[in-house]
Amino acid sequence: MGERAVKVWAWIAAAHEGDAPVSVAALCRAAVLRLAVDGASVTAVSSPVAREPVCASDEVSARLEEFQFTLGEGPGADDFRLGSPMLIPELDLVAARWPGFVPAAVAAGARAMFSFPLQAGIIQVGILSLYRARPGSLGAEDLADALVFADIALQLLLDAASGITGSPGYQPLEGAPGARAEVHQATGMISVQLGVSLEEAFVRLRAHAFASGTALGDVAGEVVRRRLRFGRAAAPGSER
Amino acid sequence: MVTSVDERLAQTFVELADTLVAGFDLMEFLQTLTERCVELLEVDAAGLLLADGRGALRLVAASTEQARVVELFQLQNDEGPCVDCFRSGQPVIIGDISAGNVVARWPRFGPAALEMGFAGVHAIPMRLRDQVIGTLNLFRSAPDGLDEPVARAARALVDVATIGILQERAVRQQELVAAQLQAALHSRVMIEQAKGVLAERQQVTPDEAFLILRRYARDHNRPLTALAGDVIHGITDISPGSQATTRPAPHGDPENSPGPASGPRS
Repeated sequence: MGERAVKVWAWIAAAHEGDAPVSVAALCRAAVLRLAVDGASVTAVSSPVAREPVCASDEVSARLEEFQFTLGEGPGADDFRLGSPMLIPELDLVAARWPGFVPAAVAAGARAMFSFPLQAGIIQVGILSLYRARPGSLGAEDLADALVFADIALQLLLDAASGITGSPGYQPLEGAPGARAEVHQATGMISVQLGVSLEEAFVRLRAHAFASGTALGDVAGEVVRRRLRFGRAAAPGSER
Repeated sequence: MVTSVDERLAQTFVELADTLVAGFDLMEFLQTLTERCVELLEVDAAGLLLADGRGALRLVAASTEQARVVELFQLQNDEGPCVDCFRSGQPVIIGDISAGNVVARWPRFGPAALEMGFAGVHAIPMRLRDQVIGTLNLFRSAPDGLDEPVARAARALVDVATIGILQERAVRQQELVAAQLQAALHSRVMIEQAKGVLAERQQVTPDEAFLILRRYARDHNRPLTALAGDVIHGITDISPGSQATTRPAPHGDPENSPGPASGPRS
């Protein structure tokens, strides 16, 4: 992991309570503790109309998500389609953009909102939302950290799907930077091998890396070079 | 030095022109542009902002995470050399970001850029006559400006890019460009995923899969990123035997998405 990722992961681990698996709940707590924000939430989103709250650090965060789901607008509702962070340091100034959401959000106690998509290429699993009770932008350090929080939230959601977040010593995987392309290629190959979506394929790839104690990039390399195949035990290259 | 820059620049022009022929893909083109800027122009990072359909600036490409943060930070605060460059249509060149007058002019941008390790910035407008469509921003970690031959090369690259984008906009609907912007920053990952899908379906290597994708995009005049998405979703069949059959899209979301992301809220 990169230096910043190590730091943020340590924060999340420190915010982890009890024996429960490391979860996005710990991530949300850590974000509130370490970033200059008053609340954090993670929402799983599989389409603009299918949103499922995963956790919220406080009541205001939960209500902000509820408003966006109900009204179909807001920084985290646009976000999903645009694929880039939505940073709103002063909600009052964008009331015209989201005429339903902004007054409700301000009345609930939010004055600034920052939404980060949890995304890797075509895989889109949700949104990390941060809010502040007073207007003001995220500092550069906080912004850089928030991007890492989002990256880890993506991994936690995917890994929770295969149950490996419950394993002792769990931590987010990261391939060597040069191996990144192969990770995404391997994901595509596995999706065809198993006849599943890319999300599911990515989950399986990560679970395999974790279970075998191998770096994600190395497992991906094996798949791309056809030394490792997922699912039905056909000989490599034997089917067209 | 000068010759070397010119030679590499000439190669880059050929490469960019290549991207401009049939199968033009805006995201692919812009990502290539930022990568070549870093290789050619002795800068440490590059970022590219483009105005969307509503005239708001969006980050569409960044060569490093630090550049991404600094660009997003400027957009968030509506303040900084890249924002000024877009508004004025003039280059904004800051040799030393830590200088007092720079911090006075952009009290929030200055400290943020320094924090991310940048000491100089060179923001170049992407413009054709009156129309400013975005900015290309070059960041350096050392506080000194670009040599004149390098600065000239940067302007030439930006001009080529601008013409390419405006041609694209003239040919296609404005909405399509806005739609393509949605894929910003994720197009490369999506293309890698599509390479894997195709490699497995046709039992070829990912590199061969890319050539097949690219050839198909050109033959059918389709943007590469859009084609990548269709291949992943199984909408477009580009296997050698099939004659470019396009099946109707499978309905809705994949049924196999993992637990937390699947299904509407109950």
